[in-house]
Amino acid sequence: MRAGPSQEEIRRQNLGALLRFVHVRGSISRAELTSELGLNRSTIGALTADLAAVGLVSEEAPRETGRAGRPSLVVRPSSELVYAYAASVEVDRVRVARIGLGGVILDQREAPRPRGEAIEAVRPVAEFVAQMAEQVKPQARCIGAGIAVCGLVRREDGLVRLGPHLGWLDEPLGHALQDRLPDLLPQVAVGNVADLCALAEHTRGVAVGCDNIIYMYGDVGVGAGIIAGGRRVTGHGGYGGEVGHMVVNPHGRPCGCGSRGCWETEIGEHALLRAAGRDTALGSEAVLAVVEAAARGDATAQVAVRQVGDWLGFGVANLVNIFNPELVIFGGTLRDVYLASAAQVRSRLNSIGLPATREHVRLRTPKLGGDAALLGAAELAFEQLLADPLG
Amino acid sequence: MGTPLLELRGINKSFGPVQVLRDVAFTVHPGEVTALVGDNGAGKSTLVKCIGGIYPIDSGEYLMEGKQVHVHNPRDAASHGVEIVYQDLALCDNLDIVQNMFLGRERRSGMILDEPTMEQLAQQTLASLSVRTVKSVRQRVASLSGGQRQTVAIAKAVLWNSKLVILDEPTAALGVAQTQQVLELVRRLADNGLAVVLISHNMNDVFAVSDRIAMLYLGRMAAQVKTSDVTHSQVVELITSGRSGALGLAEEGAAA
Repeated sequence: MRAGPSQEEIRRQNLGALLRFVHVRGSISRAELTSELGLNRSTIGALTADLAAVGLVSEEAPRETGRAGRPSLVVRPSSELVYAYAASVEVDRVRVARIGLGGVILDQREAPRPRGEAIEAVRPVAEFVAQMAEQVKPQARCIGAGIAVCGLVRREDGLVRLGPHLGWLDEPLGHALQDRLPDLLPQVAVGNVADLCALAEHTRGVAVGCDNIIYMYGDVGVGAGIIAGGRRVTGHGGYGGEVGHMVVNPHGRPCGCGSRGCWETEIGEHALLRAAGRDTALGSEAVLAVVEAAARGDATAQVAVRQVGDWLGFGVANLVNIFNPELVIFGGTLRDVYLASAAQVRSRLNSIGLPATREHVRLRTPKLGGDAALLGAAELAFEQLLADPLG
Repeated sequence: MGTPLLELRGINKSFGPVQVLRDVAFTVHPGEVTALVGDNGAGKSTLVKCIGGIYPIDSGEYLMEGKQVHVHNPRDAASHGVEIVYQDLALCDNLDIVQNMFLGRERRSGMILDEPTMEQLAQQTLASLSVRTVKSVRQRVASLSGGQRQTVAIAKAVLWNSKLVILDEPTAALGVAQTQQVLELVRRLADNGLAVVLISHNMNDVFAVSDRIAMLYLGRMAAQVKTSDVTHSQVVELITSGRSGALGLAEEGAAA
């Protein structure tokens, strides 16, 4: 028989739960914490004091409550003093942000992505981090960095196994960044962009309170971040969610992955641009231009948008049948495509999806927009701190 | 499903010899977007004006939250939490955002207008809708883009503790990026718990944000269905012929 958890373990658990609560919900009074966490009032007081002693939270008197009695102290995450760096490596650009505890974006920059291997992509990231570090208060504490990347990421060490649209194969992205800035970054975590967007929307976006969601992230490629039963579904090695490589059309076009007729060859940016007769154009602006042309009445663009919407609905219906999510979120350029072709997407879903699985599914666009990848990367960096705040 | 927020039963409305609405039933649930679609002249605007108290109904029942109410003028409708955003938005170009939002219902403190409170409320309302495109609430409406105007008009409707917001063609005459923002805003209103009625001719907009679709055909309610149960072509058929398979008006009704 296993012995119960030690007092030390329980305390660590509670400290983590309290810090996570403040991190996700923002400023909150001690009284609310007591009722939300179901802990004793004095326990909350002691835990808060511990967290405040190491500078993770601060306590202050509320402005005015308008009610009788001694007002409960408000616990605030120390966003200015405890922070992480978040980076997003995309096909055509890299973005870097400094994000405080509580998910506050304190600073943000972006640059075009240099062609080539991870070493190249890391250079502007490291430069931005160094620039931002100069403006940080001396007593502030950096937890580490998180990077969102459009590729397959090995969970155990953050190795990017394959980034088909970056031209990467087995690139040690996390190590490359940490090696450049060993003094600034205690740890660097790497995750897939769709997974991290799903995490961010689940933590503080449109999917708060929803435990079964699919976040469809699309740019050149297409991936999904899946949360089932409140847990991220990333698979055995961390490579799960590659819905863009689900084969939907065995006689379709060759895909960058070597297969043929993958879903992303029908709904990715290239598919839309090709159908609209704009093969030479690239990037999210070109996608918006097609959507814009369709709205203005350009017949070719309209057909292209409808066709892509039709395929989008086809795949989403299959995913809905498999995962029975309550929410499907369309992010990246799929947001624009979805909003422009919702009639096709819905019609396909309604005709292919099983009535029971599609009954309560809501199709939504992201609340956090383009910031989701950065906020998700920061969540990844904060994870260890939230698990063991004093460790 | 709980009690509908608004339920209309057997609504009839004639203008002289022309009967515009015949025995119309219509329900709207809180937390949902109900799209109201129909061809030109099907009676959409008339139905909305009956709900808003601009036209008195000839006969029929008007229930709010399950209780029968009598709506004789727009003030009655507003007192029941019904707000309508018309196509022309009815904003005053020469006034700023705060002045527009409180037009005719200004807050006072004593003899003078309570500007700080109004400004704060306007800001809170815009923030609750996650509106980031408006820089200052003291901007004149004349300086805003079409999408921003639409946003202000919607925020104005939300400000008054409204329960039901009716939007008449909110995305007509907007560019793509602004249409997307307005659609997301419409969805957010319902996700925040309001009941929303969306009148639109654009099937994409309807499918992108609605939970239910109500189809008017020549002054009669052809069908009111869940968006998850119909396809685009079925909706188009219902709009143009009043029938689609098992859905819609009975054969003789359509011919009458």
